[in-house]
Amino acid sequence: MSKVTLVSPKEKNNFRSTLSLGILFAFGLCIIMFVLHISIGAKPLSYLTVINSIIHFDIRNFDHVIILKVRLPRAIIALTVGASLSVAGAIMQGVTRNPLASPSILGLLTGASFAIVISYGMFGVFTPYYTPWIAALGALLTAILVLTVASLAPGGASPLNLTLSGAAISAFLGAIITIFNLLDSDNFDDLREWLTGSLAGNSLEVFYIIVPWIIIAMVAAIILSRKITILGMGDDVAKGLGVKTTGLKIQLLIIVVMLTASSVALAGPMGFIGLVIPHIARIVVGSDYRWIIPYSALFGAAYLVGVDILARVIIAPQEISTGIITALFGGPLFIYLIKTRAR
Amino acid sequence: MSNTHFTLRLLNESIALKLPKFALIIILIICIMIVFMIVWSLNIGSFNLSFQSVYDTLKGTETDKAANNVVWLFRFPRTLAAILVGIMMALSGAALQNVTRNGLADPSLIGISQGAALAVVASIIVFPEIDINLRPWLALAGSLIVAATIQWLSFDDKASNSLKLILFGIGVSAFLSSITTAMLTYGDIYNASSALAWLAGSINATNWFDVKLLSIAVLILVPLLLILSRLMATLRLGEISAISLGVPIKFVKYALISLAVALAAIATSVVGPLGFVGLVAPHLARLLTRSNVAIHLILTALIGGLLVLVADFAGRALFAPLQIPAGIVTEIIGVPFLIFLLLSQRRKLNK
Repeated sequence: MSKVTLVSPKEKNNFRSTLSLGILFAFGLCIIMFVLHISIGAKPLSYLTVINSIIHFDIRNFDHVIILKVRLPRAIIALTVGASLSVAGAIMQGVTRNPLASPSILGLLTGASFAIVISYGMFGVFTPYYTPWIAALGALLTAILVLTVASLAPGGASPLNLTLSGAAISAFLGAIITIFNLLDSDNFDDLREWLTGSLAGNSLEVFYIIVPWIIIAMVAAIILSRKITILGMGDDVAKGLGVKTTGLKIQLLIIVVMLTASSVALAGPMGFIGLVIPHIARIVVGSDYRWIIPYSALFGAAYLVGVDILARVIIAPQEISTGIITALFGGPLFIYLIKTRAR
Repeated sequence: MSNTHFTLRLLNESIALKLPKFALIIILIICIMIVFMIVWSLNIGSFNLSFQSVYDTLKGTETDKAANNVVWLFRFPRTLAAILVGIMMALSGAALQNVTRNGLADPSLIGISQGAALAVVASIIVFPEIDINLRPWLALAGSLIVAATIQWLSFDDKASNSLKLILFGIGVSAFLSSITTAMLTYGDIYNASSALAWLAGSINATNWFDVKLLSIAVLILVPLLLILSRLMATLRLGEISAISLGVPIKFVKYALISLAVALAAIATSVVGPLGFVGLVAPHLARLLTRSNVAIHLILTALIGGLLVLVADFAGRALFAPLQIPAGIVTEIIGVPFLIFLLLSQRRKLNK
């Protein structure tokens, strides 16, 4: 566990101001990625045009229309999804004290997509008004199922048990998704690309409905962040310090489900972001969740926007689903983490 | 001679096998079930046949040409392929579980099937003109690379943690499947759909050539596996005891891993990835009866064959006229079983 070191107040202040500067830096990184994302594409646009189109939009200018109708929505959704999934992953890793926990590994993404596919396949519901709720229900039920199975297994909810039960339940739900796919392949074409985690062809219509929930969840996460740090020291310590652990865990579970479900509703299941980013944030800022959460959000946003640039560039003029690339990066990191961190 | 065992004496008692009666009865029951399933699956389908006409067709006295074609060209090779593939996957799983001393090892869980799948899909999409007969070799190459990678990753863990091996497999599979998905989604549409049909675990497309290939593989690899497994039995006592009993453990280990990989790869190259059979069959065999290695392997093979046969049949009949690939059905059977193992037996698995 972490070593106890005596830190003088002055050093502590220094560290704190470095971290605050770092936030500004990460924020800058997000903006750079954002502008890059908008300017790179089938029709390269100059940075000046990008900035101009945002400041004073001109409907007669074709470039401005491309930016506002196509590229800006996509970039905004990438930012949002990256931030939400990373924060969800960070919280899960803190609460379960499990370096492998993340929405994709523990099956929450598959659970959310499963619920969406079922509701679409059975009732033909795929509207922005209901989708987030359906996704949230699926993610919540899957989370509860995975946690129950893992904690009933001998050895309790250890990282390995949690991961394995998450993988098993994902596989099961995935198989049922495939059956639905086969049963109704015509309708399913609409969902096919969405299911690989895609940012293409999204409009801001869904975004406006979902964004309030994401903001609420993010604010709640930041308010609770101090308690997550304490929870990370173990349940007994947290109880000793006056934290009501059960209530806190339920609140955090709700936050995680809200963030995950919103991302799935926006962009489909986008794997491995919630796994990768919190680790990078932890390398930078240490174990204090008051910093981990904002850093995870910013890094996650910048990362997903960056990955999405790659997805559009690698085999241009075609584009790859963004989820495929996040899995390409995430798989090896996952293996590395098992090798070094999991017991 | 005890009551519970039956002693088989051959060649003037130069070979004598002591066989537990209970296990023999179970083997007999499973054989009967397999025969029953074969008959049933020859009958059921979009083209209705009576038992009588199937029987006549098999005897060669049926005059109806359509019935002849349906049975001989489609249903019979398919049924045989399902059994053979089941046997191969089940034995592959049993061998892997023996060598790694890990009750959760299964070719599809540790990424071996996915390696084979990626190799074949890549060949279909990147080099569409490649000879279809090379597929088994490509699949073998892909699986061997994955097996070597996993072996290398878990090398310094002394096989101490059986769950870790599976998690490496999950990571490797996620990585490989995302490449496979990318190829399927963005490759040339014509090649991609032929790859997709193969990938879906399509036992329905098997022909007599596939059956021939599978039976040759079974005839060569399974006896080898049985011989090596006798040596494995001593390995169960622990490595040090095995060494002192004169077993070349390094050789036996790698030979068994290679055999397991070869079985899984060849089966995968014909019907596509077929999950969880290698996990379920050996455990079911052990649950049914505890006995010596040979009986356990025979029972495992038979259960594997029956399992895939049932899975293929269920996939064909449940949503008819639509066909659900057998791989999906085995997955749906396999996951609850995996969770059951996780809940009940981990102490045993984690010895």
